[in-house]
Amino acid sequence: MFCPQCGASNADTAAVCAQCGRNLQPGAPAVPAQPGVIIPPGAPAVNIPNYLVFAILTTVLCCLPAGIPAIVYAAQVNSKLQMGDIAGAQASSNNAKMWCWVAFGIGLASIGIWILLALVGVIGSLHQH
Amino acid sequence: MLAVLFTGSAGLALLRSFDPASSRLFPPCPLHYFTGLYCPGCGSLRALHQLLLGNWRTAWAMNPLTCVLLPFLMYGLASELWLFVKGRPLPQIFIPGKWIYALCAVIVLFGILRNLPFYPFDLLAPGAMLRL
Repeated sequence: MFCPQCGASNADTAAVCAQCGRNLQPGAPAVPAQPGVIIPPGAPAVNIPNYLVFAILTTVLCCLPAGIPAIVYAAQVNSKLQMGDIAGAQASSNNAKMWCWVAFGIGLASIGIWILLALVGVIGSLHQH
Repeated sequence: MLAVLFTGSAGLALLRSFDPASSRLFPPCPLHYFTGLYCPGCGSLRALHQLLLGNWRTAWAMNPLTCVLLPFLMYGLASELWLFVKGRPLPQIFIPGKWIYALCAVIVLFGILRNLPFYPFDLLAPGAMLRL
């Protein structure tokens, strides 16, 4: 069976997910991670998106430094998850998401300005002929 | 989501047909346009264009960072697609926060080094390795 939380493949008889530790028994609620509970590295018990893929995409494709804060916040999400700081990880996750959109928006805006300038240039060259 | 898929496919088709290096269809990097500096992402569109044509050596010369990160990015995007179609993501490996900070440092460092005008760092500028 596949873990509904992290998607890892587990034996059908597994009680908990080998990767993220979620309870796999039907009817059992997901075990929330609590501060103070020792979480082994690489195995957070809750799934908080860090938007790392989108952060890198906007950094590499939008050609602007606004993607860098998104990556830093993505790193914060995973660091805080490792420390068991769920609320902090969630806050960083929201920030990562916001910066992804900022970077994406700036990229989109610069494309828009480019198209506008190109159109003005085309019109300008038409007038000269 | 369907709109994203459609836009993405159309963008890739455009990118395959037109070379960003010679076509004015794709916008230039604003940072490079105004300051002449290369950012970590400079050359990534040209690299993707070359990869779509199968020219991996030219792609590497345009932006090695993009080439290195591409498998990770593609897996992440495939996972998002999987989540949309099947309702669950692809298996994920939890990346420790320190690794992501390290990646961030690599990206920033790459952006700085490729602007240095002397060997061997000048080879990191987009397309510079083609002149070897």
